[in-house]
Amino acid sequence: MSKDHFLEVRGLKKYFEADRPSIFTREARHVHAVDGVDFNLRHSEVIALVGESGCGKSTLALLLMGLEEPTAGTISFEGRDITHLNDNERKSLRRKIQMVFQDPYESLNPTQTIEEIINEPLLVHGIGADKTERDGRVKKAMEDSGLKPAEVYLKRFPHELSGGQRQRVVIASALVLEPEILLADEPVSMLDVSIRAEIINLLAELRITRQIAVIFITHDLGSVGFFADRVAVMYLGRIVEIGTMLEVLEKPQHPYTKALISVIPVPNPRLRRERIILQGETPNPIDVPQGCRFHPRCPLVMATCKASDPPFVTLSKTHQAACLLLVK
Amino acid sequence: MDTTAQVTEAQTQWIIRLLNFWRIFSRNRIGLAGLAMLILLIFVAVFAPLIAPYDSSSSASVKIGDVYNPPSSSHWFGTDDAGQDVFSNFVFGSRVSLTVGFFAAFISIIIGGSLGLVAGFFGGRMENFLMRFTDIMLVIPDLPLMVVIVALTKPSLLNIIFVIGLLGWTTTARVVRSQTLAVKSRKFVLRARAVGAGKRHIISRHILPLVMPILVVQAVLVVSLAILNESALSFLGLGDPTALSWGQMLNYAFSRGAMSIGAWWALFVPGFGIVWVVLGLTLLGQGLEQILNPRLDTHHLMPGRPIVRGDAGEASEKNSLLEVRNLSINYVNNGKPPARAVENISFSLKEGELIGLVGESGCGKTTLMLALLRLLPSAGQIVNGRVIFNGKDLTTLSEEEINVVRWKDISIVFQGAMNALNPVRTVGEQIAEAITKHLPGFPRDQRLQERVIELLDLVGIAADHKDHFPHQYSGGMRQRAMIAMALACNPQVIIADEPTTALDVMIQAQILELLDSLRKKLGLAIIFVTHDLGVVAEMCDRVLVMYGGVTAEYADVDIIYNDARHPYTQELLKAFPDLTKPKKKLSSIPGYPPRLDALPVGCRFAPRCPQAFERCHREQPILHKLNNPQSAAHIASCHLLEASK
Repeated sequence: MSKDHFLEVRGLKKYFEADRPSIFTREARHVHAVDGVDFNLRHSEVIALVGESGCGKSTLALLLMGLEEPTAGTISFEGRDITHLNDNERKSLRRKIQMVFQDPYESLNPTQTIEEIINEPLLVHGIGADKTERDGRVKKAMEDSGLKPAEVYLKRFPHELSGGQRQRVVIASALVLEPEILLADEPVSMLDVSIRAEIINLLAELRITRQIAVIFITHDLGSVGFFADRVAVMYLGRIVEIGTMLEVLEKPQHPYTKALISVIPVPNPRLRRERIILQGETPNPIDVPQGCRFHPRCPLVMATCKASDPPFVTLSKTHQAACLLLVK
Repeated sequence: MDTTAQVTEAQTQWIIRLLNFWRIFSRNRIGLAGLAMLILLIFVAVFAPLIAPYDSSSSASVKIGDVYNPPSSSHWFGTDDAGQDVFSNFVFGSRVSLTVGFFAAFISIIIGGSLGLVAGFFGGRMENFLMRFTDIMLVIPDLPLMVVIVALTKPSLLNIIFVIGLLGWTTTARVVRSQTLAVKSRKFVLRARAVGAGKRHIISRHILPLVMPILVVQAVLVVSLAILNESALSFLGLGDPTALSWGQMLNYAFSRGAMSIGAWWALFVPGFGIVWVVLGLTLLGQGLEQILNPRLDTHHLMPGRPIVRGDAGEASEKNSLLEVRNLSINYVNNGKPPARAVENISFSLKEGELIGLVGESGCGKTTLMLALLRLLPSAGQIVNGRVIFNGKDLTTLSEEEINVVRWKDISIVFQGAMNALNPVRTVGEQIAEAITKHLPGFPRDQRLQERVIELLDLVGIAADHKDHFPHQYSGGMRQRAMIAMALACNPQVIIADEPTTALDVMIQAQILELLDSLRKKLGLAIIFVTHDLGVVAEMCDRVLVMYGGVTAEYADVDIIYNDARHPYTQELLKAFPDLTKPKKKLSSIPGYPPRLDALPVGCRFAPRCPQAFERCHREQPILHKLNNPQSAAHIASCHLLEASK
């Protein structure tokens, strides 16, 4: 197994049935939530998946977690195909791949204490010979997540904690299983700006101290700097640009990436820039536009964009983008 | 050894939870009254032989003259058709009613609860089948069916319990199913699945604890229903003749001439028993529901608390449109000292100006905005300060006068546009309503429709979307529709309370661009409330940074971003990712904002401040006015600024 084939996603698709075929319409219409996604995740790498709501990034996370069954394509982990697994195989894989959800208010059961929440994964997987060992693991996960000293929090309930602390509880309950991949679905978007940096720094620390690979899903390109090794920009179910963090942030090639970067607020009125504000919103993924799926909103659209779907153009060893402007 | 320790720990957990529950319950008068009524009756039933003056089973001593005797000293509630003591029969009858009620309800709750849980959790065909079955059971009238079944079987107490129990589960099944569905869709269940938890684990650890409260309330109601059903069956003469219940007492009295003789006591006493138990159970159920479902209790529209006048000083800037001076707001806290949610806030706003109000959640920024329009919840109280709008002090206006100002002069765009729009009416209708409600004289003809189209056009929504419903709009369009509604009466000031927080960056940029263009086009003054310093840098003139209910810093936008003097502002700026330096590590502010009920003695930021010194923990800093040639007013509250003043 080479370093590159830690987690490999090939041609992944997920279509949801939008409406059932009736006597009037012969074919069912489908929501093309994820429509052909390829990428690799290396060991202890941080990759940021960026896109607006409706681009399929959350569905992609559920597919990677095995919480949804893909329509087509494969996912392999450490060289093994994990696209379709039975319940037992799936359960043992969950120890390796864990997830942090967006809303720390909603993702904790209000009737459980913090101890019960973080201990739960150990009970589910039957980890730990006795209570002492489990307590030790719970405590370590909490302290690694910044809930120090752990004793203060053990008997509390989620509503007694602040948003940032709750997100730390969610992270601790994922860490307690000692996963190798952490999927973080918009982990900071519900938090105040002053707390966001804290959670991002925590995730950055974990990848160093625990060698965890992180898939960081966000709509905000501004929050991926410093922390991500690579950035993948998604639009309407597909990755349209992928490259190292510096390549994407400093030399974006796809018009969509350029627009996304231009609207990130700059906290300095002296640096007000020309913003590329795309009009309208991501089209309905039931009727995906012909040709390049970005063409109806693209400020640089050409006649050929309406007809042909752009291929991935390799710009450097690590940088690729799907745009006809880049085809020479 | 290990397991016993665990069991006892779990048990103590439960005892603590029960004690906590009792502490809350004991404050609920309705629930307590119901519980007391029920306990009294259970006491009567348990100690029936000691309480009843006569043994109801023996009729040996009955004489002819004893029939339907009115209440007397020897028979407190008279005698019945058989010459038996009514009070004694009532006491023994409570045993039958309660037994039937509790056991039948137990059967109903077990059946209804498990069917509802299974249907709600597993969904699909199983749900379809179970719920259609429930629907069928629900449309069959219970009582006639019970009558038929009981009439066909031997009238024994056990049969009655089973018939009532087996027919009374339908509402429970529906209630439990809908609660299960609601809990199942919550994120923590998805998280449990992601952790690897199986179905059984999810049901027992995540679904059941949240369904249980509803089930308890439902159980109380089912018990009362079962008692009513038993009484009805017995009244119709279908009860167990060996166990005299209240229903049967009514039946005997009714069929054996109590009405014609005028022996009201024979009817009144058992009737009273039925009313007593059903009332007690209903009150108990209501009390439990109030506690377990606290949402029922909030958001009652109550008149605002009286405004306390204090010395707020005179207006400073003559040409301002809106001026807030030394505004302080408290939340009254039952018995405890009031929470000082907002203290001593001042700012001013000119026509066409945009001011950014920045602060973390819980810093009091929404409270401040609601206070401007006197829309505070009933616990909120303005304890000092003035809000001067166009020369009028809004805090001195009567409720009718402030109503004229709301929406017509100052309107609000709320966060979360989905919840603020009515889902069953078209967006056009709702905008038209906003116009006619605040401008009663507006002609309700073609001109109203034209105005709606004009407003939609102003916010960039095509006229053909007028007749669409909110769910057909995307998040960004809904927020635009909310802005159109806020513009309906041509206000001079718009308060935008986190209008872009739940939106994507691109949509956020669209909304910001829209607000900025409206300001230029219509000369609107805008108060933009946000937790995101980056958002306001793009477009506002002045910034007020709030922390823990007080002003941290107030200055022109350029000063805030390039010459901030308050450590909080400085730290907040550092926490912001800077795209021009993508490799730089983000710095975060350690700790969390103070809770309003536990404010620090000194500076409210001191516990998190990297520059705090001894005095900061002891003494609250005053607002220092800084002489800054570039800014009209630069105010910051920090002890460090004392020297530089």
